[in-house]
Amino acid sequence: MTALPDTAARPGAAPAPGAGGAAPRRGRSTLRRALAYAGLSVVTVLVLVPFAWMLSSSLKRDNQVFTVPIQWIPQELRWSNFIEIWERIPLLTYLGNSAFLSVVITLLQVLTGSFAAYGFSKVRFPGRDALFLAYIATIAVPWQAYMVPQYIMMQQAELTDTYWSIILLQAFGAFGVFLMRQYYMSIPDDLCEAARIDGLSEYGIYWRIMLPLSKPALASLALLTFVNTWNDYMGPFIYLTSNELWTIQLGLRSFVGQYDAEYAMIMTGAVLSVLPIMVIFLFGQRYFIRGIATSGLK
Amino acid sequence: MITSVKPRARRQVVKGLSIVAALTLTLAACGSGDPEPADPNGKITLSVTVWNLAKTPEFKALFDAFQQANPNITVKPVDILADDYPEKVTTMLAGGDKTDVITMKNVTDYSRYSSRGQLADLTDLAKSPGNAKLAGLDAFNVGNAYYALPYRQDFWLLYYNKTLLDKAGVELPDPLTWDEYAKLAKRLTQGEGGDKVYGAYHHTWRSVVQAIAAAQTGGDQLGGDYTFFTDQYNIAKGLQDAGAVLDFGTAKSQQADYRTQFESGKTALMPMGTWYISGILEAKAKGASDVDWGLAPMPQVAGATGTTTFGSPTAFAVNKRAEHADAAKKFVEFAAGQAGAEAITKVGVVPALQSPEITAAYFGLKGMPADERSKKAFEPDKVTLEMPVSENTSDIDTILNEEHELIMVGDKSVADGIRSMNERVKNEVLN
Amino acid sequence: MTQALTQPTPAPPRRARAWRDILVGWSFILPNFVGFALFTLVPMLAAFALAFLEWDSYSSPEWVGLDNFRQMFGDENFHVALRNTLFYAAGHIPLTLVAALGLAMALNRRIRGVQFFRTAAFFPYITSLVAVAVVWNMLFNPTAGPINQLLEAIGVAEPPRWVASTDWAMPAVIITSVWRDMGYYMVLYLAGLQTIPREYYEAATVDGAGPWQRFWSVTLPCLRPTTFFVLVMLTIQSFKVLDLIVVMTDGGPGRSTLVLAQLVYREGIREGQFGCSSAVALVLFVIVLTVTVVQFRINERRSAT
Repeated sequence: MTALPDTAARPGAAPAPGAGGAAPRRGRSTLRRALAYAGLSVVTVLVLVPFAWMLSSSLKRDNQVFTVPIQWIPQELRWSNFIEIWERIPLLTYLGNSAFLSVVITLLQVLTGSFAAYGFSKVRFPGRDALFLAYIATIAVPWQAYMVPQYIMMQQAELTDTYWSIILLQAFGAFGVFLMRQYYMSIPDDLCEAARIDGLSEYGIYWRIMLPLSKPALASLALLTFVNTWNDYMGPFIYLTSNELWTIQLGLRSFVGQYDAEYAMIMTGAVLSVLPIMVIFLFGQRYFIRGIATSGLK
Repeated sequence: MITSVKPRARRQVVKGLSIVAALTLTLAACGSGDPEPADPNGKITLSVTVWNLAKTPEFKALFDAFQQANPNITVKPVDILADDYPEKVTTMLAGGDKTDVITMKNVTDYSRYSSRGQLADLTDLAKSPGNAKLAGLDAFNVGNAYYALPYRQDFWLLYYNKTLLDKAGVELPDPLTWDEYAKLAKRLTQGEGGDKVYGAYHHTWRSVVQAIAAAQTGGDQLGGDYTFFTDQYNIAKGLQDAGAVLDFGTAKSQQADYRTQFESGKTALMPMGTWYISGILEAKAKGASDVDWGLAPMPQVAGATGTTTFGSPTAFAVNKRAEHADAAKKFVEFAAGQAGAEAITKVGVVPALQSPEITAAYFGLKGMPADERSKKAFEPDKVTLEMPVSENTSDIDTILNEEHELIMVGDKSVADGIRSMNERVKNEVLN
Repeated sequence: MTQALTQPTPAPPRRARAWRDILVGWSFILPNFVGFALFTLVPMLAAFALAFLEWDSYSSPEWVGLDNFRQMFGDENFHVALRNTLFYAAGHIPLTLVAALGLAMALNRRIRGVQFFRTAAFFPYITSLVAVAVVWNMLFNPTAGPINQLLEAIGVAEPPRWVASTDWAMPAVIITSVWRDMGYYMVLYLAGLQTIPREYYEAATVDGAGPWQRFWSVTLPCLRPTTFFVLVMLTIQSFKVLDLIVVMTDGGPGRSTLVLAQLVYREGIREGQFGCSSAVALVLFVIVLTVTVVQFRINERRSAT
């Protein structure tokens, strides 16, 4: 344990190299800062334009959404859309269902993924790399290709129209294993070796050294898994039939009819469904900046 | 075949694997039990696949009427999103689902399910005298057998904005030819930029050009020779080049919505299906639109007699693995019959069973235009199927759609586009 | 577990160690692998087997050998889709990689409001796809779109017709997808940047390295595991791109943006030709596996030096 770096708690250890360290002249640094903000602002505008359209559409009538050319500011602001949507569909149930699925799947994915990643990165055994390659190559198979065999299996197991089907299908993806493995690869083996000499078992190393060190990676895995589950449409669509099990994405699509769609309602719902993700992202960010120093040994 | 040891061994493995897969899949196929013996007095819960129950009032209207007529049967809708309805139904049926009644959203899907043997034979129902005059029934004839009965039949007509026509001081000739339509559309086009009002709006579907050409010239969309599209394309392209319709590229890429175009008074004329009637009625009732509208028959080719247009039926079918096959058949027959037709007419849907009484009831709906021409539009002389059904339908549909896009964005001339349709359909599908 | 194995016959220590490693390794992998194998691998193998069968989802499958592949290679759609997919990958992979790394570098600093900027950069990924398609198509509009107005203003006489032309539709899709995905990969790079010890930069600065040299000699080498991950994921996602294309161009105009995953979908779920669909999926799998193995090899050789 002595080898453990005591720097884990050091606040904000790794500044970006571009930040420039100690700038020689204050004037130049102010100018650079201003330029950085200007650049970032331009990028931000570019990045947020479609979101702005979404927001503007959520305040329109259905037949005003797809005007040509685009009308950015609605003639009348229909804030009532944000009330109407709660009356039209059981939004709270849908949001709750989505949250439940996302949390469970994210937890399982992060746990099993980071656990397996340790086996793939820090334990050497024959066939490891081949297995790993096959593992990640399966991500490349489009889901549509094996959707039907999978469904038949689930139907035989009588798991369709239950949350089990979605959880079992999505919680054990190879994505998390791959992401965590790559992160562990960047943590020096010497650290594990030292811990082994100190008498820690492999499981102990995983739990007491790797997990605490890999917080940024765990955070990004959790975030991306959460977002993907939250936004998934096809999986829940195929497996969940009963309305009380529906997720928010299914709820939004229920505004699309055979010949037309209520786009204002869809966009209203889309804006509402983005909010939880935004909150999680804002909170999760502190893990990206909490520095860890893995060089404590050298 | 080359016989070396290794590839052979590999082939054995592959073959073995395939057999395992085959077994699992066959197992699923045989996994259904026999239909339970129906107890005439017992309570039955009949399951029916539907799309967007909340947004499609015809289903509820039908279910309510049916339950009233059959108190011992309760209908349980299986609500599926409209967007990807066929995907889910295909998957469900592959998994051995036992839902009793399967709604056929379009004829192409019907031909797939029926050719795989997933639907129960309803020929006796289709051939009974009461159902013989169902509009669109022919579309469901597969080798002299029927596996579904239509309850709804939409067809195309011309919507027009009265206010815009009055303002320009023009009247729709009766009957209207395509040349007159084009001239009128150019005259009705006014303004520039964001305020521009177009003479007509052509939605991006290929049927707007192709299906109407097939219907009115007698051309065969599955035949492999598409020269009969030429006149209709010249009209459509001519209007686009003159700026009298929203150009295809913009309409397609910005998903221009035909409802927006018509309901916000951006267009004076619009060929569209009858399903939109209930849409306008609803928009006006909610105060979302104040368009003053009317209906006219589809424009015709010069020298034609009578009104010819195209349409597409919607039908109910019985799952071959249905748990309550008898009750399911009862429902299908009910929906296609008089009582079913009356029920869906009330919510503004055009039933497959047509009669003067039904039409009268339809025009009695609140907000319907009451003029003679609108009524005439509702009784076309001939309605052909939007796209004929065969094993090649979807492959040809894909090709025609791709070439349609290329002609309309101006990547190919009309003649080149049609030549390439001919070549591709012959080489890739019919060979 | 290790005890049980080593007790009865005291094996030579090295072999015991090897066995122990196998057991320990598998014990880590197993919880994920069981779920993965059962619910993804088995159906996937069944789907691969389908490539050698003819099956319409209802009747019993029939063994047809390589017929599906023969049919696929004879199908012009397959060649068009393969070409388009390669084109998309060739544009999307490098551009997204550079954009994501650039964003991560720019936003991995302690300046006021950085949280806001980072959240904004992630927004394209969570914005509704319909909104993305509509707005980008509007920006790309050949006559009224801002992009072409800008191009004309700086003297481009005949700007591309973007989504309304067969030549430029794919570049338009690539630009939009880079814009959409860069925030996603930025998150991964941000996590990767946290692993670089500050001392490395300090040492490099002492040696007189400027910001650019520090980037090349410290940042990039330290980010190699992350870059490898991003590269592989980008490759995979480029080869099976589907949703953005469906809402933006739906493969058009004509077949100019038709991609392989669309064929898989079309042949399978829509047409019920599951054999053909699986054959295309199998080819996709083999391509990606090959590319990944090459990337893996290169990565190993680099990290060995």
